[in-house]
Amino acid sequence: MENEVVVTGVGMVTPLGATADETVAAWEAGEEARREPIEALSGVGVTGAEGFVLPRFDASERLGRDRRMIKFMSDAAVIGCVAAREAMNEAKSRERFAPERIGLFAGTGLAGARVREAIPMVEASIDDEGTFSYGLLGERGLAATNPLLSFKILANMPPCLVSLLEGIKGANLIFGPWEGQTGAALVEAWRAVAEGEVDCAVAGAADFASHPATYVYLHHAGLLHGDGVPAPGAAYVILERRESAERDGRKIHGRIAEVKVTTSADTVSDPLVSRLGRTFAAAPAILLGLAIRLGWPEARCVGADGQAFHARLEAVR
Amino acid sequence: MRRVAITGCGVISPIGCGRKAFFGSLREGRSGIGPITRFECGSFAVQVAGEVKDSFDWPESVARVAAVDRKVGYGFTACIDALGDAGMDQIGENTLLHLGTSVETFDLEKLVYKGKLDLEESVRRSLSDRGSLFQVPLDTTARLVTEQYGRPGLTLTNCSACAAGAQTVGHGFHEIRGRRFEKAVCGGFDSMVNPLGVGGFQLLGALTTDNGRGERACRPFDAARAGAVLGEGAAVFVLEPLEKAAAEGKPILAEIVGYGSSLDAYSLSAPDPEGDGAARSMVAALRDAQLRPEGVHHINTHGTGTRLNDEVEAKAIRHVFANGWERIPVSSTKSMTGHLIGASGAVEAAACLLPLLEGVLPPNPCLDKPGHGCELHHVVRSGHPFEGDTVLSNSFGFGGQNATLILRRHDG
Repeated sequence: MENEVVVTGVGMVTPLGATADETVAAWEAGEEARREPIEALSGVGVTGAEGFVLPRFDASERLGRDRRMIKFMSDAAVIGCVAAREAMNEAKSRERFAPERIGLFAGTGLAGARVREAIPMVEASIDDEGTFSYGLLGERGLAATNPLLSFKILANMPPCLVSLLEGIKGANLIFGPWEGQTGAALVEAWRAVAEGEVDCAVAGAADFASHPATYVYLHHAGLLHGDGVPAPGAAYVILERRESAERDGRKIHGRIAEVKVTTSADTVSDPLVSRLGRTFAAAPAILLGLAIRLGWPEARCVGADGQAFHARLEAVR
Repeated sequence: MRRVAITGCGVISPIGCGRKAFFGSLREGRSGIGPITRFECGSFAVQVAGEVKDSFDWPESVARVAAVDRKVGYGFTACIDALGDAGMDQIGENTLLHLGTSVETFDLEKLVYKGKLDLEESVRRSLSDRGSLFQVPLDTTARLVTEQYGRPGLTLTNCSACAAGAQTVGHGFHEIRGRRFEKAVCGGFDSMVNPLGVGGFQLLGALTTDNGRGERACRPFDAARAGAVLGEGAAVFVLEPLEKAAAEGKPILAEIVGYGSSLDAYSLSAPDPEGDGAARSMVAALRDAQLRPEGVHHINTHGTGTRLNDEVEAKAIRHVFANGWERIPVSSTKSMTGHLIGASGAVEAAACLLPLLEGVLPPNPCLDKPGHGCELHHVVRSGHPFEGDTVLSNSFGFGGQNATLILRRHDG
């Protein structure tokens, strides 16, 4: 039994539901998430310029007294923090483990601050001839910029905000921006728990691939072929050794018997895309969360980085 | 557990490209910091940085991206140099490729059309011109390297800000030690010396505006320190099992013996004032190396030159090395290179090779008088001999990510 790694918490924010329970229930009911035209791209004539959308939910309520931190967060960071909070609450990780013994292993997507947040900076930097001027950026554009914008585009900030809000102080790794990278974060989390580097790992990712600027890049790079409609999504799982979960009487969703990321010549594949969209960096975490909750024997996807994530799962009796 | 050797190293830095030039500047305490020339910065409060002075003959595929995002070219070149140094002409299934950096580069000019921010038009133009890069993803360098050298068993892009470079090396070390790979190509690359990078950090108040100090603008641990100076560059290492490399007669630059990481969970931009996170990172690395504090003979600090960071790091070092910190010589190479953000941990690990290979310590030439709370055994002058065998390098990142590496001289 020693070194068996089990999942004791799952948190999710996906187009199918604003919690893990909602997402699981919607999946079991065969629902498809809602998609909408991406407003900022309407009229541009981009084929398929639509994205899946999240159900309405109140992030302030979900984050409680930490709602004051939302102003520092990108949209991806908000849903990542909400998902991580849900997972931590379910596993009661804060109450059971020393902060130094909790690790954070996360994936993060393409940077995607809201375009409107850059408007004051850009417009203050346009010269008389109508072109962008870096001289004017220094002279008045920066003064018109919300200093918090920097926190929203730094790649490591969504997971670091999880660390800050949840008091996680242990070993850590952050990879990005595609599916295989989050897969690798999940592998590292599993290994850190199995080998005793940490007692508990908070592992997952958040991505907001339906942001207009992100959409432009994904389309440009040919990553939205076929049914690749972009979607926002986040999922975090709590991994710990079976021994601690049983000792503390925690509900065990399942055991991760094996997890790996390998180079793959296969085309991009994600079993979730038709029903909740392409969540890119978040996909392996959502997939693992759904799989462990639904009792699937495995979770597998191939990412835009040409790497395959594969987890073999077992029920624990 | 098997031992891990560094068998290749490529360095691109403001104080020289290639190990020989880099070591030469480090040895002499020569600064690479000066007025920003990459863009017209006259209207910016911050006007100094550590720029890479060399020019590069990049392949077309690299040059096209580097024209928008120079750090990609630096990372690519450092990889090539490291692979060449280790005698590798291809990357295979038994190799981990793990590169780290900080933030994507955006081309704001492409958002403006006829005098206003026009996303629709920028989309239209972007889609009609596949060569037009609006956003450069962080894994671009790794993709270009694999196109040239072949696909590794696993490709990772680490985005742990200022801790990224050190994390890649530490992770690569653990992967080789744990027998999951036979080779690791790992390191960091970055350039924030662009209007958005300089402007963004200026907004956060992290950079010195003491432009008149020129090459002495970055003053880690000094009483008059006034903030960090951005730099640019890359360092990439090839790691292999030590016994195997030795048996094959490969030159071994150093042995990696320990790695640790931690999180502050204190603030997005400020370090824990008690230095708890920094101390735990060092303790984790010592534990990983099965080493007592007195086994460390030199420290290369994170040493950014910001008031709070330096004081906190000094406090953490004095706490961890309570029984003898006065005897451990401490260098702060950002005084010469500037802060290379996602590349800093890797470039500073490369700086640690100087004492191990040549028996001399890099100085902190801009330190006139240690600031309050910054008391350590600072190496100020060049030419300070080093007779120990074990060095420790700290990297502490925005967001509270900390990483520490421990390297040892190989006398085999």
